[in-house]
Amino acid sequence: MVKMIAVNKLDELFSLLAETSELYLPIKNGEVVLYQQWQPGSLVTLDKTNSAVSPKDIFLPRDETYLQYRLCGRQLEMDSVEDVGDIIAFGIHPCDLKAIEMLDRVFIEQDPPDALYRERRNKTVVIALACDSPDPFCFCQEFGIDPLDAPGADIMAHLTDQKLIFHTRTEKGRELLLKAGNLLEEYKGAQVDKIIKTADFGLNVEGLVDNLQDRFTDPVWDELYLSCLSCGICTYVCPTCYCFDIEDYGNESAGERFRCWDSCMFGDFTQMAGGHNPRAGRKERVRQRFMHKLQYYPREFGDIACVGCGRCLRSCPVNLDIVQVIKKLGGVKDA
Amino acid sequence: MENNKLNRLEIITKTLSQDLLGGRINILLGWEKGHYWWQSRPLFIRNEKELGNLVWDSFCAINLSRYLPELLKDYDKIGVLVKGCDSRAFNRLLQDNMVDRSRIVLYGLPCMGMLDYEMLLAEAGQEIDSIDEKNEMVIVQTKDGKKQVDRSKVLMAKCRDCLYPEPVVYDQMLGEPFDRKQPPERFNRVADLERLTDNERYTYWEKEFSRCLRCYACRQACPFCSCIECFVEQENPRWLGKAYQPSENFIFHLVRAYHGAGRCIDCGECERVCPVNIPLQEMNRKLIKDINELFGEYEAGLNASEEPPLLTYKPDDPSAFSEE
Repeated sequence: MVKMIAVNKLDELFSLLAETSELYLPIKNGEVVLYQQWQPGSLVTLDKTNSAVSPKDIFLPRDETYLQYRLCGRQLEMDSVEDVGDIIAFGIHPCDLKAIEMLDRVFIEQDPPDALYRERRNKTVVIALACDSPDPFCFCQEFGIDPLDAPGADIMAHLTDQKLIFHTRTEKGRELLLKAGNLLEEYKGAQVDKIIKTADFGLNVEGLVDNLQDRFTDPVWDELYLSCLSCGICTYVCPTCYCFDIEDYGNESAGERFRCWDSCMFGDFTQMAGGHNPRAGRKERVRQRFMHKLQYYPREFGDIACVGCGRCLRSCPVNLDIVQVIKKLGGVKDA
Repeated sequence: MENNKLNRLEIITKTLSQDLLGGRINILLGWEKGHYWWQSRPLFIRNEKELGNLVWDSFCAINLSRYLPELLKDYDKIGVLVKGCDSRAFNRLLQDNMVDRSRIVLYGLPCMGMLDYEMLLAEAGQEIDSIDEKNEMVIVQTKDGKKQVDRSKVLMAKCRDCLYPEPVVYDQMLGEPFDRKQPPERFNRVADLERLTDNERYTYWEKEFSRCLRCYACRQACPFCSCIECFVEQENPRWLGKAYQPSENFIFHLVRAYHGAGRCIDCGECERVCPVNIPLQEMNRKLIKDINELFGEYEAGLNASEEPPLLTYKPDDPSAFSEE
């Protein structure tokens, strides 16, 4: 099914979709763009490049309650957490959707799967948006991603000439467009045909993955970590980082147990009771993060855990990003 | 201009090379180019080859003093390039006993203020091939030709109101001071916020803090955040929960700002590194303004031997609480 809507009518569409679903869109918040729940008046920005933070928090919220408890006399009562409603993830770029599929392997395609993540993922219709204005930090094509096409989407959207054109890919996608009913028009124009070129940093990552494990004590790590400030920016803006922590929040009589994002760049990430810390320094932590991206994840699941979204290139305050690391490790094409 | 720039770097490199080979320093902290010409990253120089990557241009915003406490564990004598703000950061660390003055050689670099690539891009209106700098002008080269832009329009936010572009402490100065226009009044924005009602201010900061990821980059880049253990990580007592709650975000930012009262050097690194553009400088400047009004003019990091106002007691200190 192919449909279209004029850009100036989008607010009506968002309004309709938000009646029955949590609708997430790239929305301007202050000076930055973040994927947030749409509300009337939200400044939706579909024509910009990647959001400051990846949309992974639609499925893996920064903070998610999974049980609530209270003391009734000497009895501990458990309350179930509210059910997840329908979700629409609108305007997801192909790189970010590829990253979400990588998270699916970790959270869903395991035994047992992660019930909270699976619930949110299953209840979501993904409307991907072709990305035709990559910025200098975008390098998804280095990882074989097509910025104009997200194969895993329920609906693929293209923004062109003040129109948003929808191509349905799944039954879920068809149902959603049917719900939008007469707000949408038939589209009979040609297939959107553009040529996009993202940054070419000359990477050759495949060769790296083969033997990185053997390079655990390589002196290159003694240099790489030096500039790291030990903040958590890279892990929090990254679409393929998924580590979390579990904590309680409450008082003596009631509270909740929640999970929230955590970062392997923080010193307390591996802090043990008793005082031992197996990754005590910045070197061990920097190595861990990049070994995870370039060795542990690909060994388990096949793909390198980077989609070239460029967020670490843009946000790392000292420019210690994955491209620099891959290059320093020797993952470059022969000249 | 291109030649002047080259000469300046050549002179700097020559001095540094002599000091590195002669053993005055074992390691030098400088900057090198990132992926693009408008990016720089810290450079750790131990030999001539590494020195070859050194750059000094209008994109060297990263404060290098921040690396000194940890680097002193591994190196005996450390050289570090310091702009005005970096030199005050050094004084700040010195006041906290985080660095050993006798093992550091400070190379001073007078600074014209760092440029903001995004603002250059906005002025150019299209992709920029390169830039050239002439005094107070920046000449932007695009495929359609050259465009002159007033330097003050494309300065990084943190540099726009800089009061001390020249290093306030150094062992050797590696450049000539620039003529510089008087910077604008830096408390205007704070005064605007002060005029809001309590509720309006709360709403303002609630919205700004709602974006906070608690990545702690502001803390990690900050020269006054030199605590060996931050309250954020303390387990017993647990001051701050990990929950992504507005109240926890407020607690983090307010405690950090108050801890910086009289110690913040107004370098703006916190705001520069923030990945979600929280206007952290406004909060720090409010405290600088309050300290000035309550205890008399004080500029943190100017003079390492002068005690910060909140670390001293004077009988005539204001005591607003007891008076009311």
